[in-house]
Amino acid sequence: MSHTRRAALLLSAAAIFSTPAPAFAAAEGDATQPQSAEDLADLSIEELAQIEVRSASKQAEPLSAAPTAITVLTSEDIARSAATSLPEALRLAPNLQVQRLDGRLYAVTARGFNGYETSNKLLVLMDGRSIYTPLQSGVFWELHQPFLEDIQQIEVISGPGGTLFGPNAVNGVVNITSKDAHQTIGGLARATVGQNERTAGLRYGAAIGDTGAVRVYAHGFDREDLPDGLGVDQNDRFKGWQAGFRSDWGSGANRFTFQGDIFDNKIATSSGDGNRGHNLLARWNRQLNNRSALQVQAYYDDFRRRFTLVSDSLETFDLETQFNTSQGGHELVLGAGVRTTRDAFINNLNGFVLDPERRRLWVFNVFGQDRFALSDDLDLIAGLKLERSSFSGVQVLPNLRVAWHPNEQNLLWGSVSRAVRTPSRIDRQLVFLPILAPATNFETEKLIAFEAGYRGQPGSSTTLSVSLFYNLYNDIRTTELTNGGLPIQLRNGLKGSTYGIEANLTQQLTGWWRASIGGIAMGKDFELKNGAVDIANRAALGADPDYQLIARSHMDLGSRVQLDLGMRAMDDLNTTGVGGYVEADARLNWRASEAFEIYVAGSNLLHARHAESIDPARAQLSERSVYIGSRVRF
Amino acid sequence: MRVRRAPFRLRALRLLAGTALLGAAFSAAAQPSDVAVKAAFLSKFGSYVSWPGASGSGPINLCLVGSDPFGRLLDDAVRGQHASGRPLRLLRMNNADGAGGCHVAFVQGSNPAATGAMLGKLRGKAVLTVTDARAGGPQGMIHFVLHQGRVRFHVDDAGAARSGLSISSRLLGLALSVRQRG
Repeated sequence: MSHTRRAALLLSAAAIFSTPAPAFAAAEGDATQPQSAEDLADLSIEELAQIEVRSASKQAEPLSAAPTAITVLTSEDIARSAATSLPEALRLAPNLQVQRLDGRLYAVTARGFNGYETSNKLLVLMDGRSIYTPLQSGVFWELHQPFLEDIQQIEVISGPGGTLFGPNAVNGVVNITSKDAHQTIGGLARATVGQNERTAGLRYGAAIGDTGAVRVYAHGFDREDLPDGLGVDQNDRFKGWQAGFRSDWGSGANRFTFQGDIFDNKIATSSGDGNRGHNLLARWNRQLNNRSALQVQAYYDDFRRRFTLVSDSLETFDLETQFNTSQGGHELVLGAGVRTTRDAFINNLNGFVLDPERRRLWVFNVFGQDRFALSDDLDLIAGLKLERSSFSGVQVLPNLRVAWHPNEQNLLWGSVSRAVRTPSRIDRQLVFLPILAPATNFETEKLIAFEAGYRGQPGSSTTLSVSLFYNLYNDIRTTELTNGGLPIQLRNGLKGSTYGIEANLTQQLTGWWRASIGGIAMGKDFELKNGAVDIANRAALGADPDYQLIARSHMDLGSRVQLDLGMRAMDDLNTTGVGGYVEADARLNWRASEAFEIYVAGSNLLHARHAESIDPARAQLSERSVYIGSRVRF
Repeated sequence: MRVRRAPFRLRALRLLAGTALLGAAFSAAAQPSDVAVKAAFLSKFGSYVSWPGASGSGPINLCLVGSDPFGRLLDDAVRGQHASGRPLRLLRMNNADGAGGCHVAFVQGSNPAATGAMLGKLRGKAVLTVTDARAGGPQGMIHFVLHQGRVRFHVDDAGAARSGLSISSRLLGLALSVRQRG
């Protein structure tokens, strides 16, 4: 540490114990703050208490203070699960419904509408990068194979998040964040081998200078074909790789993140089938003063999919900025963003085409949200987002929340919000004349959501969250005849409601044993609007169980052995074809040393195979899968 | 149980420091992360606590119980540090079972319930427990919070007293609030 900085800090320390006046000196002394751990080690506790710090996230609030239905999966939850892919890890969240269709395809939703083509009301972000597609508003999960060991956490919000996150955050938001590069210094190698799947991956991270760090990773997987179910055999063996990097650095009030991924994977269905893509993201966080921060983020994302003579591509540029400030009892977030996408959809298989085949879309948004304290224990949160798309016009997305926290252990909240699913390219511009006509008047699907919930700690080793929802939907997609005959056309003929309860209880039974049980029970009540018909027989509503229950047990058997067990019970999908099922997963880990662990894990252990999806064209059966794996740190 | 606010002089100081910061054009100060400052604090708490019985000359055990939000930052902070002349030793452990031999334990489970259970195991033992508000949930004897852009903490001196620890007034003087003993 330089002489002058040391002197300034000593001066500020002296100020603490003398009169108020030199406090100004202390404040000015902040301009010469220490940066490295070694510098900090030289300071007294009084000096430490005066150092201005940056927080990992300006908006970071303890989970117990978030007035929304949220589940957070930590890196430890994921590391201790049997999951080897992102959608399998999402099964850990009791407020998400996950269906596996085949070796690569998944359908994931919250609060209903599940199915490969109908789970189009969920917004998914990876490190701030939106991964739902404007082609059909769903998420192509097979394009996203992050190295699971690098995930910091997955926030799963069930319920609308339209104000902060934007359209498509209708039924929920999945926000996946990876670890800061400073947290992944050193090497990690992982390999798993089983009859159904083999994976291998390597990550290495290093410090750069005093304030920076970088990591690089690469991993690959090979998943076997699943047995055919409702759909004909898809020959769906899926293998591929993904690689990437993340670097974080910063000095003073400025922090930077630069990261990217590249992937390529193959589907065995026919030669040349598969997906490839890449992305780059840069983010700048600036601490303006001790109450305000600014974030600017830009990313580029490009991918190409090809499956049985159909190919599509999407290129996205996105620029957004966010300003946070807290003063006078207000916590204010303001933001603005612009995104442009260029897509192409080429069909050489049959007559369904997009008209036009390629299109560039522009989306602009501004938003603001304020959380202010009405009293010591009552907060009001009001927010509004305005979004204008060159494809579907202007959307207004307001939300109002109230949070009552009589003490640190308990929070009661309620909310009313509006969210929309904007029309996708397929909704409006899919054409197959003379059978299907384009639907230029296809409107946004709309939701007004009423929610209430409790989250807290009824006992010192118990956490409980319960949320109730009542969702009023309008203008949900129908398939109608025109003038009593062909061509058919997509319209907005359905309206109705969903209602239900989500709950999650975690109990630390002993120091070494934690157990949790959670789930969702819900109902749907929809009807056709006056004059509407739906020859698709309400396919857009998806197929959902009336309930799902997820129970998990985590045991530390001594310091070297961990045993994790999970069970999920799923009601039938209220349609013929897929009954209810109960399945279990388990993982037994032996940590031989800090550097080496070996484990045996399995999923779907109770039955050789079971059906999860009613998709007539795609659904295969999920299988029992057992594997051994190992992680080595160096 | 009374909760004492920080002394008036300190409050006044903070207020003044705050206005000074707002008024002055805030230059691009070199700001360490809150995690680095917490790590530095952890490496120093041992000097301001006395444990019951033997004074001893062996190492002071600083334990990370549960998850590790610090990574290498804490190793760097602890390197070469002493507490009241005794060397500081950093230990990482998955759970609180073996934490009875710790002098200072930063406790953070994967969720608030896990943190609560681990704190429960250490209750009554002569271990200075430290928690972080960022993890939410239960509080140890020292509970880190971010306050006006700085790392500060609340102190449960009553809890420390029940475990036979005494915390020096120098540390208590920096606390945002102190739950008084007796």
